[in-house]
Amino acid sequence: MTLARNLDALVAYGRMATRRMYIYRFNVIMMIVLTGITIYLLTLLWKAAYGDRTEVDGIPLQSMLVYLTIANLQLRFLSPEMDQDIQERIREGQIGFDLNRPVGYPGQLVAGAAGQMIGLLPMLVVAVPIAFVAGELRPPASVEEGFAYLASLVLAWLVAVQMNLLIGLVSFWTLEMTGFRMMYRLIGNFATGALIPLWFMPDLLRSIVQLLPFQAIAFVPVSIYVGEPATGGIWSALALQAFWAVVMVLVIQLVWRRAFRHTVIQGG
Amino acid sequence: MATVAQRISILLTLAGASLRSEFQYRANAVSAVISGMIYQLTGFIAVWIIVARFNEIGGWSLAEITFLYGMRLTSHGIFYACFSQLFEADRVMVTGEYDRYLLRPMPPLLQLFTRKLRVNCFGDLIGGLLLLGFASAGVDVAWSPQTVFYLVLAVTGGALVEGAVQIMLGSLSFRFLQTMSLRVTVNEVFNLYGNYPFTIFPKALEYLLTFALPVAFVAFFPASVVLEREDGLHVAPWLAVIAPLVGVGLFLVALRVWRRQSRHYQSSGH
Repeated sequence: MTLARNLDALVAYGRMATRRMYIYRFNVIMMIVLTGITIYLLTLLWKAAYGDRTEVDGIPLQSMLVYLTIANLQLRFLSPEMDQDIQERIREGQIGFDLNRPVGYPGQLVAGAAGQMIGLLPMLVVAVPIAFVAGELRPPASVEEGFAYLASLVLAWLVAVQMNLLIGLVSFWTLEMTGFRMMYRLIGNFATGALIPLWFMPDLLRSIVQLLPFQAIAFVPVSIYVGEPATGGIWSALALQAFWAVVMVLVIQLVWRRAFRHTVIQGG
Repeated sequence: MATVAQRISILLTLAGASLRSEFQYRANAVSAVISGMIYQLTGFIAVWIIVARFNEIGGWSLAEITFLYGMRLTSHGIFYACFSQLFEADRVMVTGEYDRYLLRPMPPLLQLFTRKLRVNCFGDLIGGLLLLGFASAGVDVAWSPQTVFYLVLAVTGGALVEGAVQIMLGSLSFRFLQTMSLRVTVNEVFNLYGNYPFTIFPKALEYLLTFALPVAFVAFFPASVVLEREDGLHVAPWLAVIAPLVGVGLFLVALRVWRRQSRHYQSSGH
């Protein structure tokens, strides 16, 4: 099996990605502070929206605040930036080196993203207290939901990484990605449900968002955490995420094969 | 040294040149403007959904919040159109590009401002004006030439407030070189907290975002004046009325700070 043979190489990629990220330590901290600032604003905004009510549409204010806090905190840890890497490698013509390596390019990228994510975990020591002060943190609704949340988090990461990879692969066709990436980011901001959970979206918008994979990144796991699973049950919620994770694997295989044939190595 | 009139004409020439250079790649520039606008409007849609669902936030109606949001966005657009290059100050100093500015007979800061134009500022501007246009029909304001004049002053003043803060932070680069993430964070605080009525904030935060970081002066104060919502203010109403003047004042102070700090510039050599 190639995976076993390449494991050492993949682990090395992951380590490298972690190290690269911590060259800009200050940026990492600032991003977490920024997340805290965002969580605090959302908390104030939703508190004001609830006003004197303690519950709206069956969602208690406290669950809502915990939802916002966890969703935005975890989004910070589930925001891979492979798309920019891919674009840069192609622009500089270095993609040729990447493709020549015995480990497949998508594998290198996912390993890098995993390394970044694992490397970011110690930052929880800073991030959780900040989120606690800025927002509202409570333990999960029950032990069962806590474990389901952890499983859901892994699936969320898989979906997030693969979607980011897919967007990055577009660079194989065009390098003018600024507008495109912006669109992706803003649809993503919305459709993950980190600002407005799907419960409170207008019907039309919700039915569109429910057809997209973004919800698997924030809404599905966090709704499990607060005990209001998106699809009504924990298992069906996890199945929905798993469905998207598998769909993305297939789509990426398809796109990658075409992208590979389409590779243009600029100079290099 | 050139006279003021000459200086302004040079400034306009430089600004025109950077505009022309951006529109060399027309399709790219247009898509940057459009995506900038959509980006800002989606931010607003999130607020709109919440307010529409809950009728009001902090005692402000949807039309009033739209008006506030539009004012802030328009100010931010002007700020970004004029001062976006402040975000490049680190690079300009690290690479020694600043050396060149010192050799030319124009204030270096003006040369920095006209270095390049970020066309997505037009997205903010158009988006902001659209929101203002929609909201001005819905809010309960007796529009007169005076209110419109005040609005124009206020929006300009708001841009000056944001500009002043960023100039002061930018001048830190003379000493510390890498101040980018600090500036981005402060910019985000303006972007996030400037768009909402301060009535939803706790008292301490209201004062903090007024006197420690002048976010209130960008849009919330002047919007309260135009909308005649001085009832909810945490300061004396006159302070809200003079918000545009505060913008001018802060800007003048910022220019002094920049000049002071620029003495610490250490060229990296060319």
